[in-house]
Amino acid sequence: MERLVYSVCAKDCGLGAYVSIMAASISGYTFSSVCYHSANTNSDHEGFLLGEVRQEETLSISDSHIGSSEFVSVIEVHNHEPCAQLFSFYDYAGNVNEENLNRILKDRRKNVIGWYRFRRNTQQQMSFREQVIHKQLTNILGIPDLVFLLFSFISTANSSTHALEYVLFRPNRNYNQRISLSIPNLGNTSQQEYKVSSVPNTSKNYAGVIKEHGNEFFDKDGVMKDIRAIFQVYSALQQRVQAVCCEVDQSERVREKIQEEVNKLKEEIALRKRNRAEEERRLQEAAAVPLPDNSALPDSSQSSPTQVVLSGPSVEPSVERPVNSSSPPIYSTTLPPDSPSAILLPRPQAVGSPGHPSPSLGLGNGDGSSSDSLNRQATGQEDGDDEDSSEYENLVSEQLQPPSLTETVTLGRPATLWPDGDAHSPPGS
Amino acid sequence: MFLLKFSTVINKQIREKNTSCLIVLYIMAVSAVHLESDAFLVCMNHALSTEKEEVMGLCIGEVDTNRIVHIHSVIILRRSDKRKDRVEISPEQLSAASTEAERLAEMTGRPMRVVGWYHSHPHITVWPSHVDVRTQAMYQMMDQGFVGLIFSCFIEDKNTKTGRVLYTCFQSVQAQKGSEYERIEIPIHVIPHEAIGKVCLESAVELPRILCQEEQDTYRRIHSLSHLDPITKIHNGSVFTKNLCSQMSAISGPLLQWLEDRLELNKHSIIKLQEEKERLTQELASL
Repeated sequence: MERLVYSVCAKDCGLGAYVSIMAASISGYTFSSVCYHSANTNSDHEGFLLGEVRQEETLSISDSHIGSSEFVSVIEVHNHEPCAQLFSFYDYAGNVNEENLNRILKDRRKNVIGWYRFRRNTQQQMSFREQVIHKQLTNILGIPDLVFLLFSFISTANSSTHALEYVLFRPNRNYNQRISLSIPNLGNTSQQEYKVSSVPNTSKNYAGVIKEHGNEFFDKDGVMKDIRAIFQVYSALQQRVQAVCCEVDQSERVREKIQEEVNKLKEEIALRKRNRAEEERRLQEAAAVPLPDNSALPDSSQSSPTQVVLSGPSVEPSVERPVNSSSPPIYSTTLPPDSPSAILLPRPQAVGSPGHPSPSLGLGNGDGSSSDSLNRQATGQEDGDDEDSSEYENLVSEQLQPPSLTETVTLGRPATLWPDGDAHSPPGS
Repeated sequence: MFLLKFSTVINKQIREKNTSCLIVLYIMAVSAVHLESDAFLVCMNHALSTEKEEVMGLCIGEVDTNRIVHIHSVIILRRSDKRKDRVEISPEQLSAASTEAERLAEMTGRPMRVVGWYHSHPHITVWPSHVDVRTQAMYQMMDQGFVGLIFSCFIEDKNTKTGRVLYTCFQSVQAQKGSEYERIEIPIHVIPHEAIGKVCLESAVELPRILCQEEQDTYRRIHSLSHLDPITKIHNGSVFTKNLCSQMSAISGPLLQWLEDRLELNKHSIIKLQEEKERLTQELASL
């Protein structure tokens, strides 16, 4: 049976043949970029997936059929558009604001094929709000098969091992279908295809013909012309990569500098507001205290007896934490230096806890998103989700050593989900 | 190998002493690892570049007085031995990396040095193998604060269509019984770093160059064989062309696309930040 495959770059095959999603792919650089943006925020992170949906027709010819074709769709994610903050295009009720959406996407709106969300310590399923938002995005963007990529981040209690799980959903299909997401890469670079010897051949005709016509492939130096040509393409490409890299570097430095200036301004504003509030409080106190006898008290240089201060609610100095704080957050380390049994860690109360001996309560936003807090607790509870979030409570590592020396925690899925089931060393180790 | 001979001598001396003290020493060497997010980005890029073999690199950074290892950037390395699970680093590579660390120290004004190594485990578990643990132990002979990172990727659960990427940090300690080594887990945290550092960008764009260099070296060795007939030479030349094309389409192309997207994103961010700066300046003036 022969199968002919050719692809058509169109979003709508229009032939009425059966169409099903076969697979999806995302560039490794785009994937890493999403991880990078997610790592830079303590809360959830979300954004849009840009790319194209390609239709492939598979033609099958067999002895019983003249030919039958099957159309499959392949989703290709080229890049992503990160949202600077949560709730940037929707509100707490999940109502999407099209104006804000257009402001985020601009002219990239036509390239949207889906959106994504990164969450910590939550289950691998869409929350109620995400489902509501997805339906609206489907209608507003006019993409019937809009996809949703969910990233979930879990850690061992001692924070030595972290796992990023990702699932691509097709929510507009029945049963919220999942699609396998592949990351195209270099694959095999073992260079085993080079031949180190020629096939033995004593035919003089053969040797004569290949020598005469084969010489056209080589230049006067004996180097293959194709190699010079392809190397030129590579060199030009690498030069362009370097050039764009320099531009990116410059833009990063400019952005960094302006960010620092913005942070300083915010600190200065916060400081002045604090000082002003302090001054007002002092004036209020001074006005409230009755004036003593002149002979008893020293002269105060700060008195302003004529000023009347209206008493009102005291202004709480709001120390606004800059979005991009220059000082790194303090992460707890789980190896108390003086403890001889430091490697015997306490059982984790919840996945993603910082491993602190007394983890504080995390603040959840009710829809499974983690708050802007370093204490990552397993919130797990989505709106309308009654399932127990304890599925991720333990994270077990594979034991290579006796249990007395290392703590073991299981990843939040049953062991059967591991493709290899066990963690024995690969052969040859 | 140089490292192996050197470590054998040291190992014997250590075994003759009280090993329980050594275990405590290893525990106290490193309390945690802080990996800057832009260095983490480069590691992920590198790990996801190929699923058919393990990639590796070195971590550059510093250790503070709280025994926290700060990794500021990474250096992508070429693998001389591409056999499975053979990720040892040669003394020459370590020396070259140290030189690079010195260059980075001058550039950043911070005391940088080689503080660890990382490698990938495509399609296999994130935990270090016996070879990895032994290799890590040897590095710790030279520097007890040396740490090892492993990135496990290209893992998918076919039933739930869930993909996974994992990373772990470890050191080695000698087992109480026998001469084998065991791993100890080291907490690792990815530290937010909004802007991608220059050194990380340089490391990221080094990958296509390293891949091409490896391909050229292999081809040169083959091309120097004089007994090959023209057909075989044409074949080998085509293999070189094919491999270079794969590198360009799988690595250079997506890398360039990501750089362009990043540039665009930065331009928009700069505009927004400028607007915010003006607004804050006015607000400050009014206070």
